Amino acid sequence: MSAFTVDLTNCEREPIHILGHVQSHGYLLAILPDTYSVVHASDNIVDLLGMPATDLLGKSIDTLFSGTELPASTVIELLNVGRRNHSWETINPQPVTLNDRTWNLIIHEYQGLIILEWESAGDERNTAINQQLIAQSLTEVQASRTLPDLLQNTAQRIKTIIGYDRVMVYQFSPDWHGHVVAEAKDDHLEPYLGLHYPASDIPRQARELYKINLVRLIADVGSTPSRILSIPDWPVDQPLDLTHSVLRAVSPIHIEYLKNMGVQASMSISLLYRGELWGLISCHNTTPRFVDYPARQAAKFVSQLLSSALEFRRSEEDKTNLLQYTQNAQRLHEQLLLTDDVARALTKFPVTALDVTNATGVALLFNDKIYQLGQTPSEAQLWELGQWLTTTNAETFLETNHLTSLYPPAEAFREVGAGMLAIALSRELKEYVLWFKPERIREVTWAGNPDKPVTVGGDGQLRLSPRKSFEAWTEIVRNTSNHWTETEIGTVVKLREDILQVLTKQANAIRMLNQRLQVAYEELDAFSYTVSHDLRTPLSSIRCYSEILLEEHGKDFDEDAQALFQKIIDSTERMRSLIRHILYYSRMGRTDLDTQSIDMRQLLEGIREELLVTAKGRSLQIEIGNTPPINADSTMALQLFTNLIGNAVKYTQHKTDAVVRINGQQTDDEVVYTIEDNGIGFDMKQAGKMFDLFKRLENARNYEGSGVGLAIVKRIINRHQGKIWFRSEPDRGATFSISFPAVPLV
Amino acid sequence: MADVLYIEDDPNDADIFGRLMQKLDRHITYMVLSSGTEAINYLLGKGSYQTFRPQLPKLVLMDLNLDGISGFDIIEQTRAVDRTRFLPIVAFSTSDSPRDIRSAYEAGVNAYVVKPGSYPATRTLIDQLCDFWLDKNTRIDYT
Repeated sequence: MSAFTVDLTNCEREPIHILGHVQSHGYLLAILPDTYSVVHASDNIVDLLGMPATDLLGKSIDTLFSGTELPASTVIELLNVGRRNHSWETINPQPVTLNDRTWNLIIHEYQGLIILEWESAGDERNTAINQQLIAQSLTEVQASRTLPDLLQNTAQRIKTIIGYDRVMVYQFSPDWHGHVVAEAKDDHLEPYLGLHYPASDIPRQARELYKINLVRLIADVGSTPSRILSIPDWPVDQPLDLTHSVLRAVSPIHIEYLKNMGVQASMSISLLYRGELWGLISCHNTTPRFVDYPARQAAKFVSQLLSSALEFRRSEEDKTNLLQYTQNAQRLHEQLLLTDDVARALTKFPVTALDVTNATGVALLFNDKIYQLGQTPSEAQLWELGQWLTTTNAETFLETNHLTSLYPPAEAFREVGAGMLAIALSRELKEYVLWFKPERIREVTWAGNPDKPVTVGGDGQLRLSPRKSFEAWTEIVRNTSNHWTETEIGTVVKLREDILQVLTKQANAIRMLNQRLQVAYEELDAFSYTVSHDLRTPLSSIRCYSEILLEEHGKDFDEDAQALFQKIIDSTERMRSLIRHILYYSRMGRTDLDTQSIDMRQLLEGIREELLVTAKGRSLQIEIGNTPPINADSTMALQLFTNLIGNAVKYTQHKTDAVVRINGQQTDDEVVYTIEDNGIGFDMKQAGKMFDLFKRLENARNYEGSGVGLAIVKRIINRHQGKIWFRSEPDRGATFSISFPAVPLV
Repeated sequence: MADVLYIEDDPNDADIFGRLMQKLDRHITYMVLSSGTEAINYLLGKGSYQTFRPQLPKLVLMDLNLDGISGFDIIEQTRAVDRTRFLPIVAFSTSDSPRDIRSAYEAGVNAYVVKPGSYPATRTLIDQLCDFWLDKNTRIDYT
């Protein structure tokens, strides 16, 4: 392609501090500290000293000024003072007269060389104005103003000092992209306020230099830089380091950038916050414009004032946020204690979970429900997000401003949730509170046209345009949100503790209730045992003695007396059966389920055999059809089917040909058994309380029964999470259906 | 010496048992003890049975729910001693609670029979028990 490949990383690699040129509005000499002999000279120095640079190289400084009105001794005296004091600050700038013009001589020492730079001295009258502006700035900073106001006013002051037509305050984000937060400009210019710039517009090494050189001037973008020459024997691998030079030439890439923007002169002033670059005051002029050293110093002083103000304001802002979030979190805590209802406390009061961060949406996944406030992903997306969270190792909280990098499906809801802050209430129950921040790209206004990144020059070569970097930057910014601050994270982590405290309290209350229930159960157990034994023992005695009387003295009784004895015996039998059933019913409620797959054919045939034995002398048919296995407790299953089939047999006892049909059917999610008989049936209207304990239907009065059998059936079905239903008509038989879930109970 | 030892603290049950035994058309000797302590003394040759150690019965029928020392305790103690380790003991209880049945087997009963609660049924049962445990069952006799 071309000798100059269009490549974004070019900017990053450029050695901008050793470019080997100075800007043409000034002159440079570098001398050795010991001999004051010239090592480097800018090519244009001939204009200042009347001698070509090549003639100066290697010469001692006292010979340089021979043709000028500046005595060499004056310069040497300055150098001696600076070296003796190990400081050049008090010397700079030193006004000197050369060629009938006044110049500012600026001296510094770096990397073993003393560097002298001459640049034009400005109008002296400006100094007074600058002093005044500095004083005003100081007042401004001291006055309690909002940060945007402060920045805006500072921009205006800088503009007044340097006279450029545009001054912007440019703030860096953590990813180093920039954002114009204040602007002072001439009216006819298009505003840049609010625009964003990609991080690559100001490459890393440039940012490093901005931290060292707080003020940087490019007086004329269109001028040709002047080459720096070195003495012939100077090693080629030691070019002059211009890090601290005020005249350092500008990288061609940056020149291109400025030209693209229609800028002919530029000045930037660094804003530092805790030693890091917070932003820049970036000044543009549409025509070349030189700003003299005192004016630059004044601007630098104003920016330093602003830097210290930033530190103060920033911590104030943090404190204000912290206070606000803490107060809101405190309210949430009170609401939690007040209601004992986590969902209500976090979402239903004037202060909600949305008020403890800068998030735009919050969702609570709790108790198998979802509560949403503000802008959040959909319910379905939240369920999946909760599911995913349990697979992460986020025990306490998870914080990201780029959710898709962890959870790619988040792409679908980046507009509301590119960033997420989550606290885990219970990973087992998938209970979380999730805060969301939207994708930042929506708030970005682009500087320039990102669709035209590369321009083709007149020579047909591709020119790198800094705007090219938009594309890459868009990729970086896509799917990211603003960062979660320490304050936000700290607040929600504390909130998590508060919620867990309430939940623990509730859990403890339930545990205590459980313990009391346990005690009650144990008492009931003891009671059951007593009933089983102590009630049945005298009952047996009554019966046995009646039977003995009947057996041993029966011949002395008349028929009526014998019948009475039989009634006593029958009654004891009924009572005995009732006691057994009630015990069974009470036990059924809480004995542990021992679920297993049951061979239904074997079970049903066993029941049939037993029933047929007791039904001797009747015409009774018990037909068993399909017998798919069920997952159930075997004892309970036996009891269940014995009761149901027993009922069918009982209520068919007066039929000439009694038929009971049993059939099972396996579906996808359950096993259904039906027991059909041709007995007396019942009126469905009466059947509402069929499964209540001791409830019997009217037409069943002539049949023996306690009204416990079906209650036991119902209990067993409930224990197995199954269903029971029936249909019947009087004298048309009855059909009972029961279903068991196909999946075994845990 | 008794063929059958019945340990029962309910006088009615003991009485009904006695009536039934007398009606059985067999020559079976039996003995009823009404407390756990006495039963242990009798079986293990302790207390008043220390000097005169009775011969062991061929079958012990035992109610489990006794006041004081329960049937379970008796079973455990007899199973711990060589003399009575293999003595046929049949639990004879009103309870059909699965927990009781399991505990009795764990303690070491040879069989568990629920009291039928009716006179004719009890007679049939006793008859069958004697038939099996006294005639059909082969024992290891420690004398």
